[in-house]
Amino acid sequence: MNLLEIENLSFQYPDTEKKALDNISFTVKIGEFVVICGESGCGKTTLLKMLKRELAPHGEKSGSIRYHDVEQAELDDRTAACEIGYVLQNPENQVVTDKVWHELAFGLESLGFPTDVIRRRVSEMASYFGIQTWFRKNTNELSGGQKQMLNLASIMVMQPKILILDEPTSQLDPIAAADFIATLQKLNRELGLTILLVEHRLEEVFPIADRVMMMEQGKILLFDRPEKVGTQLRDIRADHHMLAGLPSAVRIFNALEVKAPCPLTVKEGRDFLSEHFGNVVDHLDIPPYTHRDEVALEMKNVWFRYERDLPDVLRGVTFSVYEGETFCILGGNGTGKTTTLSVLAGLNKAYRGKTLIGGKKIGEYKGSALYRHNVALLPQNPQTVFLKKTVREDFQEICKVMEYGKEERQTLIEETAGKLGISHLLDKHPYDLSGGEQQKAALAKMLLLKPKILLLDELTKGIDAHSKENLSGILCDLKADGITIVIVTHDVEFAAVNADRCALFFDGEITSIDTPAAFFSDNNFYTTAANRIARHLYTNAVTCEDVAELCRLNSIAQKPESEAVYG
Amino acid sequence: MNTFASYHPAVLMLYFIAVLLIAMFTQNPVLLALALLGGVSFCTLLERPKDFLHNMAFYIPLFLMIAITNPLFSHNGVTPLFFLNGNPVTLEAVLYGLDIAAMLVAVMYWFKCYNHIMTSEKILFLFGKVIPKLSLLLSTALRFVPLFKAQIKKIHQAQKAMGLYASNSYVDKLRSAVRVFSAMLTWSLENAIDTGSSMKARGYGLKGRSHFALFRFTARDGLLSGAAVFLLALVLLGTALKETAFSFYPRITALSASPIAILAYLAFGLLVFLPFLLEIVENMRWKALLSSVPKHGALSLSDATPGKDDKK
Amino acid sequence: MKKDLLAILFVILVIAAVINGTHIQSVDEYYLTHIDDITPESETVTISVRCDTILDNWEDLWPELQSDEFVPPDGVILPETEYVLREGDTVFDILDRAVRYNRIQMEYQGADKNSFGSVYIQGIHYLYEFSCGPLSGWMYRVNGEFPNYGCSKYELEDGDVIEWVYTCDLGKDVGCAWMGNQGEEAAQ
Repeated sequence: MNLLEIENLSFQYPDTEKKALDNISFTVKIGEFVVICGESGCGKTTLLKMLKRELAPHGEKSGSIRYHDVEQAELDDRTAACEIGYVLQNPENQVVTDKVWHELAFGLESLGFPTDVIRRRVSEMASYFGIQTWFRKNTNELSGGQKQMLNLASIMVMQPKILILDEPTSQLDPIAAADFIATLQKLNRELGLTILLVEHRLEEVFPIADRVMMMEQGKILLFDRPEKVGTQLRDIRADHHMLAGLPSAVRIFNALEVKAPCPLTVKEGRDFLSEHFGNVVDHLDIPPYTHRDEVALEMKNVWFRYERDLPDVLRGVTFSVYEGETFCILGGNGTGKTTTLSVLAGLNKAYRGKTLIGGKKIGEYKGSALYRHNVALLPQNPQTVFLKKTVREDFQEICKVMEYGKEERQTLIEETAGKLGISHLLDKHPYDLSGGEQQKAALAKMLLLKPKILLLDELTKGIDAHSKENLSGILCDLKADGITIVIVTHDVEFAAVNADRCALFFDGEITSIDTPAAFFSDNNFYTTAANRIARHLYTNAVTCEDVAELCRLNSIAQKPESEAVYG
Repeated sequence: MNTFASYHPAVLMLYFIAVLLIAMFTQNPVLLALALLGGVSFCTLLERPKDFLHNMAFYIPLFLMIAITNPLFSHNGVTPLFFLNGNPVTLEAVLYGLDIAAMLVAVMYWFKCYNHIMTSEKILFLFGKVIPKLSLLLSTALRFVPLFKAQIKKIHQAQKAMGLYASNSYVDKLRSAVRVFSAMLTWSLENAIDTGSSMKARGYGLKGRSHFALFRFTARDGLLSGAAVFLLALVLLGTALKETAFSFYPRITALSASPIAILAYLAFGLLVFLPFLLEIVENMRWKALLSSVPKHGALSLSDATPGKDDKK
Repeated sequence: MKKDLLAILFVILVIAAVINGTHIQSVDEYYLTHIDDITPESETVTISVRCDTILDNWEDLWPELQSDEFVPPDGVILPETEYVLREGDTVFDILDRAVRYNRIQMEYQGADKNSFGSVYIQGIHYLYEFSCGPLSGWMYRVNGEFPNYGCSKYELEDGDVIEWVYTCDLGKDVGCAWMGNQGEEAAQ
């Protein structure tokens, strides 16, 4: 039976030329788990909002949306509010009240349920979601993952029939994100809840989806079972931007032209490789790690705590980064990665140990000397970098502070914007940019400082795979310009591609430093999906490209006339 | 330490109003002494010893200063002790100073207790009963303020790390504050759109909104409020019959020892020490429970019925 | 914050003490007032202090004052007495000397502390302004007239008769016609 029937739905925002949604038709069955993906600006958020009547944007709409065979406009107010649940992207902004329990009760209060009913449903839901331990806390004390879980739970108390989620995990760290996705899967399996999920991190959601919808420019490009979508997409266009966002198993499969069912999970990927490829060649020849002699920055036994009475955050951090190197610091939440960056940027002062920037103690930089052609820190939230009405104004201000000449300013801004591909965004309001665009604009602002050392905090947070590839390219260029880059990230895939060396941060100190190939091959859990798929065959394959490369080498070495056809 | 705080907010409010009402409007030294002692001992339950002593270091000098100030400005009273600049410093004024000091410090201590016990959610709950809209507004405001503060801090740090206004001069600090603040307005509006969506998505604005709270009025709440009202009535009776009336000027009235007055004193004493007593009773009950647990456990292994009988 | 509050209070106290000076007298010292003996050639005035009106407004009087100790049954606090008039004596000087000599309690506001530039009598014999209703307070009469200015500005002449009377109704009950549209304080 169909829960949602969308027929010839088109939508156009006022004052725009193009339709945001162009003649879309599809149905969703009761109990289905549908994942919607597409590049930013493809209309997926608009589509979701159209499905939730209360959030439908203003504009020109045609076509019909039927929920349970009832036209959307004719739905009863209560049914519309109750049965269609909607979770937004940013966990922070959705929380309305100051107490967890009040947040859970909020929707039921709106619907006017009596206290007894609210009490029963809230306690039931809190138990199901494991909220009881922080039930009476203030909402601002929660972590991002807890907040998003709370947002989900406070929708679930209203007992929706369908759950619509707009990139709910994009602001979460991988562990919290996996938790969240697992909860969604549990809701779908145990309660038969229908779920419509927009997501760009497909590694976890792709395998559990019943169907995947790929959108492009306001239209549905593909809408099929996940194992088919991956290959179909490649067949439509081999350089499609969304290909990079697919799970590692699918990407490896796509790179290899093997006639077999498409693997989705790591497990299926392993089986696929075992079945079709040998390991005569079991490793790639990677050029040995070299570095320049000059040390760009160095931490020696650094200890730090935020307040006297609080526990230490950094406990003897020691590492050095050489000039022109890209250094990735990986690690879980709350281990002190971001704090390390803030100490390197002079925002926090260590109470013990030495921090050297360009061979000079950080304390010896007076005033803003540290930030003049030296160190620049790009914080986690790129919005905090912008204060003006347009990106250009912000750029001009920073140039003024840096005391560049008038003409120099103009050329510098144009040049930097061109390099990062954001020239067309200069006159927009910073908040109107998408996540990836904001990140690039913020990076451009940092580059205007002409730094020798770039400190990047969670550069890839909330960014789709294509923008990530884009950023990788930019980092590569910056490296070629001789800039030293330190990245703090959760994103093992991104680190594997970009780093010269990776470091694992744990419990306030750095526990291991190595080149990505060695680093990820040594780790059993904290490693890339590609590595997990291929580690039983190959010793140092870390990225999907590495695996595909090794597979190709092996199929040539083994038997050219095998079923694997290498073109 | 939470026996008293666990009562229903309305009962707690009633209790505080009763105590504060009497403490603020009486001059009777017995009642005020009781209020002061009660407030201080209540505070010892609520605060860590370190904080409590720290506060004492403030309240004792304050008490003395208020006590000293009164005779310097009030010269009424039939018993001059000496003359200061041609004005009498009288025994009555000194004692009245002590009385006022006791009242002020007592009221301050009770308000401290009030602040500890009546957390924002309890006050919101009480408000919500009267004006539901206001309570939701306050709740969202309480949610937003920390968010706003955190964002300001993040922006400051981001700007500082770009070398903008990193110096410590006041002009720079002010200019940076103005810049950040204007950006914060935009940010707040952006934020509000999301929050608004989240509210609308959960049916906010539909007719017939109800009001949920974690608090339930149970029998023990009824008992406590009954006790508080009864004790308050006894004290008010004493006041109404002028049995506890007391004045300092021009001559100090003799303390009445009539049965009604004594009854009023006892009632007020009981009222102010109620939290303290409840705590002690609860502790004793807890200890009794603990000591009985292993016995019950041993019994229930062999035979379940004796345990049940014990309970009855 | 709290420490600041304490410090501020303390500073105010100290400043008050410095400004006012700290001239301390024992009770006996204070009441040890020299009264000139009346000789045939000395100029004299007579002064009396009465509170008869209170007797008619007993129910308005503060309960703690409702006793013969504070309101004499005949309403006379100081019977008509003759005192030597010294050069430049004002009504206040004579009152001050008379109450000290008779050990009658009196509280006043100094001339520097109010806007009238004159001493203002707040209370005599524990009877204060407003002690007997909102329109009550002390007024004075010289030779049957209520002067329209403060008692420390009124310079006396030989043979003047000063009467301090307590009013419960802005002077109307003691025969002062003009009061009511001007402040009561101005009457002294």
